[in-house]
Amino acid sequence: MAKSSTLLNVLKAIGLRLVFGLVSLLFIAFVTFVADELAPGDAALARVGEKATRESYLAARREMGLDQPWPGRFVKYVADSARGDFGNSYFGAREPVSGVIGRALPMTLKIASIAVVLAAGLGICLGTLAAVYENRFMDRAALSLSTLGVTIPNFVLGPLLLFVFNSWLGYLPSSYDPRLPQPEFYYLVIPVLVMAARPMATLARLTRASMIDTLKQEFVRLAIAKGVPPWRLYISHALRNAILPVVTAIGTSFGFLLTGSFITERFYGIPGIGYYTIDAIQKRDTPLILATVLVTGFLFVVVNLLVDVALPVIDPRIRESQI
Amino acid sequence: MRRNWVLWLASGAFLLIVLLAIFGPNMRHGYLDPVGKPFTDPGAQFWLGTDEQGRDVFARLAFGARMSLLVGLTVQVISLVVGVVVGVLGVFAPKWVSVPLMRLTDGMFAFPDILLAILIIGVFGMGLFPVIAALAVTAWPSVARLVKTQVASLKDREFFVASQALGAPKLYLVVKHVLPHLWGILLAVSMVDVAGTILAESSLSFLGIGIQPPDPSWGNMINQARSNMNSHPLVLLWPCLTLSLAVFALNFVGDELRSIVDPRNR
Repeated sequence: MAKSSTLLNVLKAIGLRLVFGLVSLLFIAFVTFVADELAPGDAALARVGEKATRESYLAARREMGLDQPWPGRFVKYVADSARGDFGNSYFGAREPVSGVIGRALPMTLKIASIAVVLAAGLGICLGTLAAVYENRFMDRAALSLSTLGVTIPNFVLGPLLLFVFNSWLGYLPSSYDPRLPQPEFYYLVIPVLVMAARPMATLARLTRASMIDTLKQEFVRLAIAKGVPPWRLYISHALRNAILPVVTAIGTSFGFLLTGSFITERFYGIPGIGYYTIDAIQKRDTPLILATVLVTGFLFVVVNLLVDVALPVIDPRIRESQI
Repeated sequence: MRRNWVLWLASGAFLLIVLLAIFGPNMRHGYLDPVGKPFTDPGAQFWLGTDEQGRDVFARLAFGARMSLLVGLTVQVISLVVGVVVGVLGVFAPKWVSVPLMRLTDGMFAFPDILLAILIIGVFGMGLFPVIAALAVTAWPSVARLVKTQVASLKDREFFVASQALGAPKLYLVVKHVLPHLWGILLAVSMVDVAGTILAESSLSFLGIGIQPPDPSWGNMINQARSNMNSHPLVLLWPCLTLSLAVFALNFVGDELRSIVDPRNR
């Protein structure tokens, strides 16, 4: 009986997560919708301009359906957003917001995914080493490194790295410069490092704590008694069990990465989501602000959904205990 | 013994920053007007030198400390009030209140702070008050969660059950028997939280959407100093150092206090 019911459980669990994810997405959409209502100015005012008469403003409102009651407008807002239509920017050439996001998002996603791979890889390695050599030099070194990573703000780490590698050693350029040979590689090095620092540190600490717990368990002692070679024991026996909370944390570290991306993109002039959002806030370009919050919130929910779905696939115990 | 030594050192550093915030901004020079040549070296006249507009870095740094502490403390007071109320309600309120409330708390807790902050600042504009609002909205869920777990464990202790059995009303139970147990740990956690808030305020100001120039804050000082980073690294160094010192000191004091208050953490 085991086989079919296990599959059913996994499907049920995934379905439940999907529903949760959908509800959170609707909630985010509702919050941005309310924010749009509260923000000064609206799309009709942006279309007719500040100096227009009251009649033409009201006519534009009617034409755009802004005088309808809010539940109807919210449904329309959700439907439009789902199709990728976030309205037009209030400024400049009134470019559709989806165009700006389409240009900026790939850059942010690229840096963020490199950073997350780096952070997860290094963090898990450091944490495992620290746990295996608990309370010895390796452990102390890894812990100090991760304490630094957690406490140094990334806008202090940024100038620091830039100062060392750009001004002092002259290895790397100080900002995004498409004319350089291989600009992609050179200018991304520092931003990715800055972004990865904090998630790496938290993942390392978590892996360490989780590994130390796991290494104390009975099955590890049994494996030692059976004579499993040390590193095989650490990797395929202990780490396989210890890694679960770490996988969850990789999903939440996406939030840190987001914060990091705002700062690094601003700092190095990288044309990504963070860069355009800050610009939009300074100009009070409401549609763009709301759209970036909606899109990044959507990504956050999707990433965490993927992690939630991955967990029962990795760990049979979760599969069994679910529902 | 070593613990106390660290605690005293960190408290001293924090006290220094508080004194700086209170007396520093107008001690020798104003923080807004140019008072000397641009990029004067540190010396007797300007203790930490002057910035690109010839303003006294020491005075600006001190005003930045005032801003950081003001934002940090205000946000912490708001999030303590909201967090304690929500946390207590999460345990004692009827299910139809407590369940949605705790769901909301968990949701807010998981959601990236920066997005909410950007939403609030995007809607209400930039400046001191939107920053406080944005940071307070993102700060209370962690307090609420802590209070909830603490209260839930206190609820099963003998003194509480006894008092309940004697027929004490709920509000009396909370005020007399629950809250007094929380002050210690809340104080300790607040220290760490204030450090986080100061860091967040600096990030927002660094991005140019927090405290607006010409008013100095550590974040926008770092932002302004980085264009002359290569020729005058000292101007960039001071706010970075002060910010790091403040954050380290608060974290240390908080952690040490916590291990004193909460023996399980030792």
